[in-house]
Amino acid sequence: MPSLHELQARFAAALNDAKQTQPATRLFSGPRAMTLARLAIYRGNVHGNRANALAGAYPIARKIVGDEFFDAMAREYARGHRARCGDLNEYGEYFPDFVAAFPHTADLPYLPDVVRMEWLAHRAYYAADPAPFDASALAGLPTERYGGLRPRLAGGCALLESAWPLGRIWTLHQDDYGGAFEIDLDAGPDRVLIHRPAWRVQVCSLAPGDFRFLESASCGATLDDAFEAAAAADADFDLSRALTRWIDARVIENLV
Amino acid sequence: MPALGAGIGLRAPHYADFAAAPQPTGWLEVHSENYFGAGGRDLQMLERVRRDYPVSLHGVGLGLGSAQGWDEGHLGKLVALVDRVQPALVSEHLSWNATAEDNLNDLLPLPRTREALALLASRVQRVQDRLRRRILVENVSAYLEFAEGDFGEGEFIAELVRRTGCGVLLDVNNLYVNQMNHGTDAVAVMLAVPTASVKEIHLAGHLRTEDGLIDTHGDRVVDAVWQLYRTALDRFGPVPTLIEWDTDIPPLPVLLGEAAKARALMEDRHAVAA
Repeated sequence: MPSLHELQARFAAALNDAKQTQPATRLFSGPRAMTLARLAIYRGNVHGNRANALAGAYPIARKIVGDEFFDAMAREYARGHRARCGDLNEYGEYFPDFVAAFPHTADLPYLPDVVRMEWLAHRAYYAADPAPFDASALAGLPTERYGGLRPRLAGGCALLESAWPLGRIWTLHQDDYGGAFEIDLDAGPDRVLIHRPAWRVQVCSLAPGDFRFLESASCGATLDDAFEAAAAADADFDLSRALTRWIDARVIENLV
Repeated sequence: MPALGAGIGLRAPHYADFAAAPQPTGWLEVHSENYFGAGGRDLQMLERVRRDYPVSLHGVGLGLGSAQGWDEGHLGKLVALVDRVQPALVSEHLSWNATAEDNLNDLLPLPRTREALALLASRVQRVQDRLRRRILVENVSAYLEFAEGDFGEGEFIAELVRRTGCGVLLDVNNLYVNQMNHGTDAVAVMLAVPTASVKEIHLAGHLRTEDGLIDTHGDRVVDAVWQLYRTALDRFGPVPTLIEWDTDIPPLPVLLGEAAKARALMEDRHAVAA
């Protein structure tokens, strides 16, 4: 009997690759044909658990490519990306990189950005719940010093800029969407905010000023610097209106 | 602790049922890993049902028996969840899942050797030390039987209990699946497990294929498993019993019906305790 370490290495090799069953078969009792069939059951389980985890994190990509093709993508992803974690919610972390380099979906040039958006949405789903706005930093502070405060975004808020209409793609693929399935892929660049104000993740397209403002804030900029960035993109950007809007939307959690 | 009786797993398709009205279940069990996030809908539901029902945290990803080591970060998340939820029961599987190269994300069987036993004992001890409470360990279903081993299945569990003081989550369906797949005697396994150590029982459905029985948790409990459950009740008493259903999840009333059947058997055999 090999050591437990060796036994598990051989068992794992047979589950990751159907061609590597030989060193594993001798570990088990029973007829060889049965051992091979039973190893295949485990191989199916391992694949099924991982494919389900990916499908859970990337429902839109799955709808776009179809169930069967998505399953094949999950198999390819597993071949190149070993899971490092027993928490399957983390399993799809590298899927956006995988899709970006996957030659067989090159005819779907928007797919890499769709899966980037979906991973950020997946993260937002499990992020800490947004806290009520905390205005304590404003107390006693002269208004001329507000510009030095840094807006802090709620956990899970993320910003993504794309050449493709991500906000529209998101909306069209929601289960409760009842409108026409029409999309203009040449509509021009889209800038989206991914966040979770309550229990459901939202993806909304932003005007360039709002996008730069929140993007700067997410990188730790002061209000002054975030305003500069926003105003550069939109000369009419209104700081006080933006602050009110994003505090009410539970995107800005506090000012520090 | 008052008797929990029969319970069911809390699964996302039934959140709306629990949000709408109290449901006739003695307790609820969840997979710990599904609640490892910092916030969100799942945790909110778990904390909500926790106010009305005892909750059991059932881990599926720690991999107690992985020889190469395990993820302390995973254990840390479990510690935080246990602190947050204050569950009635905490359980893990007698299985392994990871090599140094990757995590296989499955409940893989261990050989019943002295080496595996020593490793499991140290890992169970480590989990109990971190959680500052006793945990339950569950016997898993297996599609392959190792050629060598030093213990029978029941003796292996009994020795782990003796070394660590852990409790046992006896999965009666898994005993049946193993009996059908390997010819091991499910009743003999039960007879070898110390009576006072069994603190929870699992019942589930499985899939019958030409290559053997597969533990899918996707169907009703079969008659042969109900029969073994009667034997388990006679030996271990009215232990909290869970109906597990994880794939092809049916409407809630189907689950509650299976749990009611378990409760009726429990009451039939232990009128006072029920």
